[in-house]
Amino acid sequence: MDSFEIKITHYIPYFMQSVVWPLLLWPCLQTVSIPLDCREDQGGVNRCPSISQEKLLDRVIQHAELIYRVSEESCSLFEEMFIPFELQLQRNQAGYTCITKALPIPSSRSEIQQISDKWLLHSVLMLVQSWIEPLVYLQTSLNLYDVAPNTLLNKTKWVSEKLISLEQGVVVLIKKMLDEGLLTTNSEQGLFHNDAQPEMLESVMRDYTSLSCFKKDAHKMETFLKLLKCRQTDKYNCA
Amino acid sequence: MRGFLRWRTAELPVMHVSTPAVIPVNQLLKSPMGCGAMMKSVMEVLLLLMLFFTAHAKEKSYSPPEKPTQTRCRSPEKETFTCWWEPGSDGGLPTTYALYYRKENSETVYECPDYHTAGENSCFFNKNDTSIWVNYNISVVATNALGRAFSDPVDIDVVYIVEPNPPEKLTVAVMEDKGWPFLLVSWEPPHKADTRSGWITLIYELRVRLEEEEDDWEMHHAGQQKMFNIFSLRSGGEYLVEVRCKPDHGFWSEWSSTSYVKVPDYFHREKSMWILVAVFSALIFLILTWLLHMNSHSLKHCILPPVPGPKIKGFDNKLLKNGNSDEIFSALVVPNFPPASASKYEEMLVEYLEVYVPEEPELMLEESKDLLDGCLKSENSRSDSDSGRGSCDSHTLLMDKCGETKEEERQTNRESSLMETQGWKEEAINHDTSGKVKTWPSVYSPLPQYGSNPLDKQSSLETAKQHSLSTSSFLTQPGTKDALGPSYTDFCLSNKENHLHPQTLAHRALQTQSDVNISNIGCKRSPATEYVEVQRVNKEDMVLLQPVVSRCGHIEGCPNLPKGEDYSKVKGVDCDNRLLLQREGTGEDVCPCVDQETNGEGGNCYTSSTVSTTQKPTACMYTAMPLQEETALALNGYVDTATMGNLPSC
Repeated sequence: MDSFEIKITHYIPYFMQSVVWPLLLWPCLQTVSIPLDCREDQGGVNRCPSISQEKLLDRVIQHAELIYRVSEESCSLFEEMFIPFELQLQRNQAGYTCITKALPIPSSRSEIQQISDKWLLHSVLMLVQSWIEPLVYLQTSLNLYDVAPNTLLNKTKWVSEKLISLEQGVVVLIKKMLDEGLLTTNSEQGLFHNDAQPEMLESVMRDYTSLSCFKKDAHKMETFLKLLKCRQTDKYNCA
Repeated sequence: MRGFLRWRTAELPVMHVSTPAVIPVNQLLKSPMGCGAMMKSVMEVLLLLMLFFTAHAKEKSYSPPEKPTQTRCRSPEKETFTCWWEPGSDGGLPTTYALYYRKENSETVYECPDYHTAGENSCFFNKNDTSIWVNYNISVVATNALGRAFSDPVDIDVVYIVEPNPPEKLTVAVMEDKGWPFLLVSWEPPHKADTRSGWITLIYELRVRLEEEEDDWEMHHAGQQKMFNIFSLRSGGEYLVEVRCKPDHGFWSEWSSTSYVKVPDYFHREKSMWILVAVFSALIFLILTWLLHMNSHSLKHCILPPVPGPKIKGFDNKLLKNGNSDEIFSALVVPNFPPASASKYEEMLVEYLEVYVPEEPELMLEESKDLLDGCLKSENSRSDSDSGRGSCDSHTLLMDKCGETKEEERQTNRESSLMETQGWKEEAINHDTSGKVKTWPSVYSPLPQYGSNPLDKQSSLETAKQHSLSTSSFLTQPGTKDALGPSYTDFCLSNKENHLHPQTLAHRALQTQSDVNISNIGCKRSPATEYVEVQRVNKEDMVLLQPVVSRCGHIEGCPNLPKGEDYSKVKGVDCDNRLLLQREGTGEDVCPCVDQETNGEGGNCYTSSTVSTTQKPTACMYTAMPLQEETALALNGYVDTATMGNLPSC
């Protein structure tokens, strides 16, 4: 009888957790959150409540921060596992350049201070849009590795997903702030394509370059957005 | 030369220097031998040795410089940066250090523009030379006369190496919030960091400690705000506050300069409250103490109930001390006791029965043993301060006397009966404290029916009664000494079931019979009434009886009153079954039973009544008394309750 009692006392909390509470909270479980379909009907009423500009900007900045952090972690993971120490320091000598080098993005502080809000936003958008495809490629490339850790793969996957939502946010922001309509496009290509199957070492180096370039660009995005935020002096006080 | 050498060795055996260098010196010193020359040569040798060894000691290995190590590069505001390196050993020669860098995707090598601004072994890149989001490949070269050494190259990006300056203008003020103080800490970001434009976003952290507690810092994270409140201060304490900052992706700055603050004493309010509490509790304590004191007795009774001591109701201890016994014991006398209208026989005085002892002792013994349980013989002829209960321990037990009588009368039977009586004497007697009358076990004649069932008392008693009647008739023959012999034994019946009613009747009947027997003997009073005295009660609750001494000496029949005893004669029993007592009479009243001829009518002689009236009154013969109305004086002043007992209708 003792063992029976012990079993009962042992399983009561488990029972409570798994059975009782779900039963009690059953009505609550039925409330499922459905994303709002905010496509506006033609000439119809906008069904979705709009978000304020400040909140949207904050949310976009948060997105960018997160993306940067995760990309930083992915890069260091990759570095530890795949890149020998000597090559770590000679990134640039390998001849791999970042794909976004060609973009007309301000690269110094003086430039940035002179640029307008519009161009800041557009720069961000350009960066975001230019990285969507390469990240997908990076993901497939990493999957080919035999010893790629799951955390690395998960992180890169997460980043590529978040980047798409970031793009959407920036588009909305542009629309709000600049009253411009832009198309979210995936059609912009041409920045990066690789047809041939690369060698292993090349592949590794390319991926490494890709990751570190993306990390840098994520930081750029974050910085631009924060600068943009502090430019709204009537709503923010960044001093 | 050889001679020199030989001379040298001969002259100075200690020094075995035979180097060629010595030889020219010796040649030089070819001078006449003597002490001075010897000394000189020693000096020369020593000098040469010193030169030789010092040359070895001072020898340097000049070498190219060791590789310098680059320690760190830091940018305080993401606009400029500085790199520091650690030089290795310089190889003994003056070494110069140079820093070269390349920007990413460019082969152009630049040298450090500023070696001095940031101090020793550093390179400072100003705003113009700083490009952000650009990888710098930096290496340091150490050069000396013998060679150069390259440090390991370092790749940096300015945005990742930001370490701001500590925050500035830290101010701490003591504010008050509803009487409770708190510290308001505020600061400024480092002046170089451009937080206003959002170029750098800083988050802050501060730490507080009491002055006396070293290394016991309390950390607070302040986020992006530039002020902070610290609560829960110790009154009168001195606090140290420091703050530092960090960019969103970068390194923590150093702690700012310490700011001191003293919290004023504010515990007056607290103290007054405590004083109030203390006073209140003291008051309550006093009240409780007073209440306890007032009710100490009742509390004592509650907690420690007093143990009841022995106390007799109505008995006054003080009277005892005074020594007045009458008054004392008057309290013990229970009025209306014995109850006048007792319906039960056990409350009445129990008469003792004189039982005829049959010839066959075995059966009697059996019976006696069977029936023995508890016996009480009440002495009805004596009134004492006792409640009138029969007690077997009175020395007027008949048993003893009967035992002696047997001896005198009969040799054989008496012996046997004596044995019996003695056996009976030692039978266990249980005093029934409830006052019931118990009589001795029956000692009937060996009628067969007696021997069997002691429980069937009623029947046995009746038969016994008949037997006694018969015996009495038998015994009325005068002169029959060989009659069954009065062995007057009281008999007791074990009376477990308190069926006394019929029993006592029978008992009395028997007793009367036995009295008749007694009368045959003559005026031997001793057999008539033999009394036994309780010697002692042994541990088996058996009363050990002994014949009363100095009783049977008088043949005249003066009843041997126990001397010195406080007996009073029963005058008679009235209708209400009350004993009428007589004052201690003279011997004349008592004595002569011989001449008495009683018909049960008055007279001094008292005879036990018998059921049967067949007896003729002879001298000193007990006659049946009509018990209804007569008060018979006992011959010796004793009232035989057997006669009295036959007053059922009375």
